[in-house]
Amino acid sequence: MNNNSPAGRRYLKRFIPTMIAYVVLVFGASFAFRLLDPTGPVAWLIAVAPALPIVAMIAIMGLYIREEKDEFQRNVLIESMLWGMGLTLSATTVAGFLEMYVHTPPMQSFWAFPLFCGAMGLSQVVVRRRYR
Amino acid sequence: MKNRLKVLRAERDWSQADLADRLEVSRQTVNALETGKYDPSLPLAFRIARLFGQPIEAIFDDGEA
Repeated sequence: MNNNSPAGRRYLKRFIPTMIAYVVLVFGASFAFRLLDPTGPVAWLIAVAPALPIVAMIAIMGLYIREEKDEFQRNVLIESMLWGMGLTLSATTVAGFLEMYVHTPPMQSFWAFPLFCGAMGLSQVVVRRRYR
Repeated sequence: MKNRLKVLRAERDWSQADLADRLEVSRQTVNALETGKYDPSLPLAFRIARLFGQPIEAIFDDGEA
């Protein structure tokens, strides 16, 4: 991510409130389930709420790629994203087979996105070093 | 791809940051271009060529000619 470009600054301006909404909704949902013990459609709504900012984050990343005018920076990010996706898909595939055959503790699928972000972040370091 | 960006920049006494400002890209982009590790798109190559007042093939060398 190039935070000095207009697209990078717009990205940050969208990223920060979205992450705040995520934290609020994660804790909110947790409290709601503990205190209210919701059922039916209400339970579904509360359960889905924390996922919405993450879906928004994915769209915000897409917007950055569309808006970034510096093609090299865009290229570095796209390469890093592809590495992140490859690593995430590999890790979740391995984890899935391990769960099925040797009964490792099941991994909840919402970990896929943080895993992707971490893998993308690490990849970005490597990708940037290659262009230096 | 080999190129003469560093020479052209030095002739004008510009820093990488100066060239980056003129091309409206980041300094890292200028560095990746100069080292030949990143090849610019056609639109960026045209912008570079216009900035230095030279044809693209006088700046970039794909080793084929």
